[in-house]
Amino acid sequence: MICGFCHKEIPENIGAADGEKSCGACLGGCRKIHCPYCGYANPAPGFLSRLLKKEKGKDNG
Amino acid sequence: MSEQQDTSPKVVLVGNPNVGKSVLFNALTGAYTTVSNYPGTSVEVSRGYCSIKEKRYEILDTPGMYSMMPITEEERVARKILLTEAPHAVVHVIDARNIERMLPMTLQLIEAGLPVVLVVNILDEAERLGMQINLKLLEKNLGVPVLGAVMKRKQGLDELLQAIAAYATVPHKPFSYVVDLEDDINRLVRLIHGQYRLSRRATSILLLQKDEDIEQLVAKNERYEDYQCLTQDVREITFRRRADLHLQISLERRKVCKRMLDGVVTQTVKEEEPLSERLSKLMMNPWTGAPILLLVVYLGLYKFVGGFGAGTMVDFLEGNIFENYINPPVVALAEKHLTANWLYELLVGEYGVWTLGVRYAVALVLPIVGAFFLMFSLLEDTGYFPRLALLVDRLFKRIGMSGRAVIPIVLGFGCDTMATLVTRTLETKRERIIATILLALAIPCSAQLGVILGLLSAAPLALAVWMVFLTLIFLLIGFLSARLLPGESPVFYMEIPPLRLPQFRNVAIKTLRRMQSYFLEILPLFLVASVILWAGKMTGVLQMFVSAMAPAVGAIGLPAEATTAFVFGFFRRDFGAAGLYDLQMSGALSVTQLTVAAATLTLFVPCVAQFLMMLKERGIKTALGILVFVTLMAFSSGWLLNKFLLVTGLLA
Repeated sequence: MICGFCHKEIPENIGAADGEKSCGACLGGCRKIHCPYCGYANPAPGFLSRLLKKEKGKDNG
Repeated sequence: MSEQQDTSPKVVLVGNPNVGKSVLFNALTGAYTTVSNYPGTSVEVSRGYCSIKEKRYEILDTPGMYSMMPITEEERVARKILLTEAPHAVVHVIDARNIERMLPMTLQLIEAGLPVVLVVNILDEAERLGMQINLKLLEKNLGVPVLGAVMKRKQGLDELLQAIAAYATVPHKPFSYVVDLEDDINRLVRLIHGQYRLSRRATSILLLQKDEDIEQLVAKNERYEDYQCLTQDVREITFRRRADLHLQISLERRKVCKRMLDGVVTQTVKEEEPLSERLSKLMMNPWTGAPILLLVVYLGLYKFVGGFGAGTMVDFLEGNIFENYINPPVVALAEKHLTANWLYELLVGEYGVWTLGVRYAVALVLPIVGAFFLMFSLLEDTGYFPRLALLVDRLFKRIGMSGRAVIPIVLGFGCDTMATLVTRTLETKRERIIATILLALAIPCSAQLGVILGLLSAAPLALAVWMVFLTLIFLLIGFLSARLLPGESPVFYMEIPPLRLPQFRNVAIKTLRRMQSYFLEILPLFLVASVILWAGKMTGVLQMFVSAMAPAVGAIGLPAEATTAFVFGFFRRDFGAAGLYDLQMSGALSVTQLTVAAATLTLFVPCVAQFLMMLKERGIKTALGILVFVTLMAFSSGWLLNKFLLVTGLLA
């Protein structure tokens, strides 16, 4: 995931990759992933992104 | 696994993410790879082997890193590998198209005394862009082997294998920085006596940058007295240079890079500066940047969010779909089946779950916020925000904050709660407090901004008054805080990503993600709020609240009905603004009243979530202090604005 502000790559283990709903910087439930480099709050992938990912996976498979 | 005992010389691949490290790793190792967590961490590191001239080498593919000063766990692991693995060669892979941005890390690796081989990858794309890179000259300037490559086609692989096999570390003449910085670095170098994988020079610079891993390493490797001397000197230098140390190191490295690249890169095709570059400069120049910002606000916020989102879309959803097709059958059904008055009120009454909660969330707030998110994602994807941060940096310094505070303040226009969390990235307590006050007071969140824009877009002058008034309050409070709270403003710098045309897919996905998470967040809150309001109405508590607040609301020239919007506002900022929207639709407010109400509501207490975040981040005393200050400030400013508008008759 690329940060929308500084365009650096946010490491996959910060929330997005393992289906977490946020980065864990707060109590949770905010569905945002903070960029560790600039602090920008990026929207966490929701069901739509996961659906698109699955579709893509099916196409490739 | 026998990795620990393996005596094969190690070759470590390092570089930014997405420069082709993994492609190179696969090309070098083929299928013989293992992927496992790096000891003591949850970060995966790939290991494999390759044979060059019948000699076996262990290849390590490190996680992407942007500099030798780690921020993320991934970068920390990548650096730890360099600190502990004693590599035969460190292959730094860079993207030829971004050579100027990536070379500072090459300098850091060389400065650290590591056996660097520089691979300038993606040369084909760079050539397509008209870039010619003189690799021989770069090799001469840097003093380490430099190879060009197109790794996806395995071009340059043989040369790299030869370079690895023939690698002989030659001590490199250090790149020198400006004299006073050199003096400080050398002062620390002389005090370091222990043995480290990184050079003493690199260790000293990292100590100055307050790198905790290096501090621990030095504490372990130095004698107690030496360590005490060293930390005292580090403290003295970092205090003296507290305003601009990071900036100066970064600028010095850039200067050295410029020297290294002098005559190395030539642009053959395009003589002219690309349009995106020219536009980028215009956006950051105060004389041209301010009009561009106004244009963005006018077209993006006023026309699109206010006009299209709050006008066309709300009219369609609220005025047409809900009013004509959804509400009549729901209310008729309730009238027919719900005999108990309390239940009727709970579901479809004045503060009913359906008539207030669902209608506000779906028909009023969502279309407006959706339009705002679309505009926000569009601007975000172009790379406009970092340029905006630099544009307002100068102004921010006058109000006691560093340019870094631009990030939480700009984020505040998205969500103030999250922005309050981000204030922890600011360096001094003073800055954190000023930013928290300004966020709580004068920065409307996206939802509130959207609804207020929609509310005021029918009267452009009222919108202008609201904007000017809030800007003045923002500047005044910032200016006063900067005078009252002691301290200096540190220097701000950030790497600006390239400006680009927004990509449809990116914008669409980000907008939908934001709308989805926003909707999931607000719907339950709106429902709970409407139940609380219903309970308040049924028990008479709401009326007591309204009566208690009525004098304050009356003092700013608003009718008693407007009090409920302020009560709503504490649940959520947008809920309050939506309450005003309803009042305006019923014709209960004049333009002056609407403007005063919108301005006071924007300044008025932050929503519950933001207040909780303030408690968490700033502590109970500061948070309560800010809450009281903001409430008093909101009503006294509202009173002043009302008087001003009545006396001048500006909006009459």
